[in-house]
Amino acid sequence: MDKILSVKDLKKSYGPFEAVSGISFEVNKGEIFALIGPNGAGKSTTLKVITGLLAPSDGTVIVDKMDIAKNMAKIREIISYLPEDSGAYKNLTGIDYLNFMAGLYAKSKEESQKFVEKAKEICGLGEKLQNKTGTYSKGMTRKLLLARTMMINPKLAILDEPTSGLDVINAMEIRQTIKAKAKEGMAVLLSSHNMLEIEFLSDRVAIIDQGKIHLIGTPEELKKKFGVSNLEEVFGKVVKEDK
Amino acid sequence: MRKFYILLKKEVKELLTIQIILPLIITAVLFVFIGNVVGKQQEKTTGPVKINLIDQDKSNLSENVINLFNKNNIEVSVSSASVDNALENAKTENKTALLVIPKGFENYILAGQSKQIDVYTIIKNFSVFGGQNYANLLADIAKVNGILSNSLLSQKNPGIDPTALKNPLTPNEFIVVGSKQANVSPSAVMAFVSQQTMYIPIILFIVIVLSAQMIATAIANEKENKTLETLLTTPVSRNAIVVAKMAAASLIALLASVIYIFSFRSYINGLTGNISVSSDISAVIEKLGLSLSPQDYVLLGLSLFAGILIALSIALILGAFAEDVKSVAGLISPLMILVMIPYFFTLFLDLSALSPILRIIVYAIPFSHVFMTAPNLFLNDYPPVIYGIIYQLVWFAVLVGIASKIFSTDKIMTMKLNFKKKSLFSK
Repeated sequence: MDKILSVKDLKKSYGPFEAVSGISFEVNKGEIFALIGPNGAGKSTTLKVITGLLAPSDGTVIVDKMDIAKNMAKIREIISYLPEDSGAYKNLTGIDYLNFMAGLYAKSKEESQKFVEKAKEICGLGEKLQNKTGTYSKGMTRKLLLARTMMINPKLAILDEPTSGLDVINAMEIRQTIKAKAKEGMAVLLSSHNMLEIEFLSDRVAIIDQGKIHLIGTPEELKKKFGVSNLEEVFGKVVKEDK
Repeated sequence: MRKFYILLKKEVKELLTIQIILPLIITAVLFVFIGNVVGKQQEKTTGPVKINLIDQDKSNLSENVINLFNKNNIEVSVSSASVDNALENAKTENKTALLVIPKGFENYILAGQSKQIDVYTIIKNFSVFGGQNYANLLADIAKVNGILSNSLLSQKNPGIDPTALKNPLTPNEFIVVGSKQANVSPSAVMAFVSQQTMYIPIILFIVIVLSAQMIATAIANEKENKTLETLLTTPVSRNAIVVAKMAAASLIALLASVIYIFSFRSYINGLTGNISVSSDISAVIEKLGLSLSPQDYVLLGLSLFAGILIALSIALILGAFAEDVKSVAGLISPLMILVMIPYFFTLFLDLSALSPILRIIVYAIPFSHVFMTAPNLFLNDYPPVIYGIIYQLVWFAVLVGIASKIFSTDKIMTMKLNFKKKSLFSK
């Protein structure tokens, strides 16, 4: 299998507080890998280190055979990040936003146009792309941002709580898009505290709590191991065992 | 370069919002409007002062006084009513005042004694122009006084110039500026120069504060919406992001300064329209070199631009501490203080007269040099202007270095001002 992301003994501290305490995992091409855990478990911090937003305190992160400590500029060309609860520029229309973001990744105008066409197809917002993003609902904004993340066809898409706060229909559509892109070969690393959603979406999951990964496996493996019917129960048992 | 242009275009689009444009246009229109209204009001108050007058003396001298009033910009309506009734009439007829020349006026004056005339001034409001007619009336009365006293002195001392008797010390005024001098009253020159320059520090102040507020709000907005997180993960250099934000804010600040300069000029011209500039004064101004040459305007522009750049870099750094837009006002208050200190000092004080410690403090503030540039240029004192600009550019280089460092590391994500916990770092 093509390994796209390899995280080894990663640590991240904010002053005396250690948010991530030596975690390791890998994500392969075409795989959806989920970090699941409660709020404050260290999921977002881990994703931010991989995107280069935060510097690691210790450990290594390799993206497509490149170390983030040495090749972050190159890595930024092949990854795409969707932050939790993020918005778009409120004074830009949806299409202006996509054009702007595509322009930052594309090497030519033609390529930029190709990215935007792809995004239009992914988000399905149609004529609403002509409206300012400040007028969008939460679901529309999330679809626009997911389309922005996926349009450049990144080797690794990093999605922080991609469906958080969305209604059932919008959440379902976003999950379908993520699945479809992974099928095309995109590696997806996502975080969520919605364990039932992750069970449907992910190929493999890592259960993270208090900055440590307690278990990694496919949802089926984990459920079988603990003899339970869903990931929520797995998480409950893992955390209980740890305490 | 293409990516920088894309970033710049987006920053300008983000900044040029109705919230920025509308106050700019409203302020400009308001100043032009006020300038016009004030100018028209000025014209009205330069007309003759209308008064009612009761002549209780009915002498040759009182008649002479009334004639002199009429010839000297005072439109007199002689009334034979009682003081109370004449006062009521003056009020309803919208007159400025009622004057009463008392009985025995001529006898007292001719006997060499003074005799007061009662002046009832009708006040309708306390605005600048509300008191203008009264000031004009007093000035006109003083003029008539001069004519009368000259006439009386000539009668008593034939063959002697009454002006020489009244003013044995007559100053022949010279003004000295640097190595140049001219035979003119300093007050006339100072009134002219201040009319030409009084709007400069106001514009500087507004533009610096406006641009700083814009960029700090833009950063805070990006942090609050998490668009900055997205932007920082794209394949664009962090320096390009910083420079694009500063360039966009500078462009808007430049636009704002042009709009403000035109509207303020119109406002100030309306306010000070009564300071007439004779061709003599213009010639003296030219002789003394008290006007700005194109080269001076370039230096003034450079100094202002350097000041804006410093304000932008400080605001960029302070904006990095912001968690949301609401916190911007509090965060940029230190910058406002840094701008306000030299603004008020240069507006009201002579910096060279300050104590050495205070002078060092004021000179150390980079914005002081922006406010000092115009007065120095008027005095053709170039070294402080040049050194001031160099000093500002050094500040700018240091601040951009700090801003660049913050944006190129994860400090941009972790820096927060937590006033409660007094901690700079938190998750």
